[in-house]
Amino acid sequence: MIPENEAAFTPEGSCAARAGVIALELERNPSVSFVESVCLPKLRSAQNDDGGWGYRPGLQSRVEPTCWVLQALFNVADVEGSRETCQRGLQFLRSAQLPDGSWPFAAGQEVGCSVTAPACWALLSSKSSPEAVAAGLNWLSQDAPRDAAFLRRWLRRLSPTRHYSRQHGAYRGWGWNPGTSSWVEPTSVALIALGLCPKELLPAGANERRQSAEAMLYDRMCPGGGWNCGDPMVYGVPGKSLVIPTAWALIALRGYPQRTENMVSLDWLERNLPDEQGPGSLALAQICLEAYGHKWPETARRPGHLYSNNEFLGSTTTTAWVCLAANSRRSWLTGEEETSR
Amino acid sequence: MTCNAKTALVPSFQRPVSRVAIRSAASYEQDLLALIYETLCEFDLPVRGKTVLLKPNLVGPDPLGVTNTHPAVIAASRESLLRLGAAQVLIGEGPAVDRDTEAILESIGLRHYVGSVTNVFVDLNVDDVEKVSLKTTASRLSELYLPKTVLAADFIISMPKLKTHHWAGVTLSLKNMFGIVPGSCYGWPKNVLHWAGIDAAILDINAAVRPDFAIVDGIVGMEGNGPLQGEPKNSGVLILGDDPVAVDATCCRVMGLLPAKVKYLSQAGILLGHIHQDKIQQLGESIASVRTPFSVLNNFQHLVDTSAAFGTQPALVG
Repeated sequence: MIPENEAAFTPEGSCAARAGVIALELERNPSVSFVESVCLPKLRSAQNDDGGWGYRPGLQSRVEPTCWVLQALFNVADVEGSRETCQRGLQFLRSAQLPDGSWPFAAGQEVGCSVTAPACWALLSSKSSPEAVAAGLNWLSQDAPRDAAFLRRWLRRLSPTRHYSRQHGAYRGWGWNPGTSSWVEPTSVALIALGLCPKELLPAGANERRQSAEAMLYDRMCPGGGWNCGDPMVYGVPGKSLVIPTAWALIALRGYPQRTENMVSLDWLERNLPDEQGPGSLALAQICLEAYGHKWPETARRPGHLYSNNEFLGSTTTTAWVCLAANSRRSWLTGEEETSR
Repeated sequence: MTCNAKTALVPSFQRPVSRVAIRSAASYEQDLLALIYETLCEFDLPVRGKTVLLKPNLVGPDPLGVTNTHPAVIAASRESLLRLGAAQVLIGEGPAVDRDTEAILESIGLRHYVGSVTNVFVDLNVDDVEKVSLKTTASRLSELYLPKTVLAADFIISMPKLKTHHWAGVTLSLKNMFGIVPGSCYGWPKNVLHWAGIDAAILDINAAVRPDFAIVDGIVGMEGNGPLQGEPKNSGVLILGDDPVAVDATCCRVMGLLPAKVKYLSQAGILLGHIHQDKIQQLGESIASVRTPFSVLNNFQHLVDTSAAFGTQPALVG
């Protein structure tokens, strides 16, 4: 719910003016949550004719934002009111799948990529299209990042810059695009999707891939906790952690809450949230901390508090993440049925 | 596609002399608007009634203002172009390693300098995209999906920060164009470009979308392990010019580095612009008067101009 902190609304620009109107509406009707009065109407109205969503309203439909908006809509109170919207969104997702089971980053692209994982995840949440999910996860399990290939590792051992990186080359996560390196976010999201998949849909070898990917994530943790995109050391200098990859990695590794790496990284996240100014980062951090049963740091702002700054730059993905964070339902993340909200 | 791809590839011997201006600017608090506006007037830029895209270098949260193009420079450039009659001046960037672009904008306080950014800033990482066949084959890439905002812009200004780079040697107006490649297609970081070869990818991207102009923020640069983890370097200059290759070559000279030794810059000098000083008309301060040697990582020591006894450079044109 916002705006708990009215001071977050700054008196500058038209953006703040619109936010001020929203604040006034909320004051009149405090039972209406920020998500229901602002975020969900924005998401619903941003749906394109083809059923998908762009990264911003009015932009071409893309797989990734469509997945996150669907996840947000699956979790809203008024499920019936979103049913047709969701069906159209799911239809867009199904139609965007490539014959090899993967999903491309944009229409017309004939090669699948990392958005295959969130697409499978969204379909899993919808409890529909098991064949599409199985095909997608099968593609994921066969997609092998190039940096872990034997020849590549052997060549790296001969490189004059081999001492600048401390990464364990044999661990296989997932890259953003086929034939590239493993990175933290695509690896984390793929791990989550595989973790939510019913056993009967899991591709052969999935467990081994998961173990290697988890090892890769731990290997790529930044010194001092947290993760960045996946470069923990750059020319001998510790990489700076970032909130989004840290949140994703911790969510993917939440089955090991007692591991030192998890605890150190949670500590990093909690210490850094008060300075965080990105609503997308805050939303994912909130989901992450709740997954570990941690309280929100008192001095950190809630994601919705930042709406007045830039209206989330119009981002449907950020808006969807804020919806997911604000909603107490977590079946989309745990795979467990929830009977009440 | 209205960007200037048609003028991107011209053999050096057919390309007219480029013009580069060096302006001293001691701090971000001084009147940068007057400085930049007056300098842009000297170039007589064809921006009246046009859509201009400013492409700053915003790589990550930067509360200390040492990593990214400073918002004061962005704002002063934007206001200058509006005064010069541009119909619209957009700011577009696709940060490379942090997908929370809003967090980056807030960390540098961009809206406090340019006002509301909601209709001014375009996150190029998540813009609509269009497949572009590459005109050159320096890398193994044959095509790239590029943001429509970039392709539709009438006039593109690359606005990097004066920095060293741990993989490319230096990151200036050409390397800055990596930021137009959308993360929503190629990830955070844009790892496809790394696998294609950074130097080669820089050439292919700039051949596809060559900036019309460059404004380099060298008031505070970065040396050593740039572009993220180097040390701040007070250089006190803005470097502006109508040829991004010539601007980058001039930046190298200011940094005490040899542009011909920077692999991608040397190759860019064949078809994308000038790196030789006799083909660059120098405006404003002389290179020697503002030269500030930057330290580089050990693997880039060969870039250092050890013969640069200051003031012994060849005479400058103009």
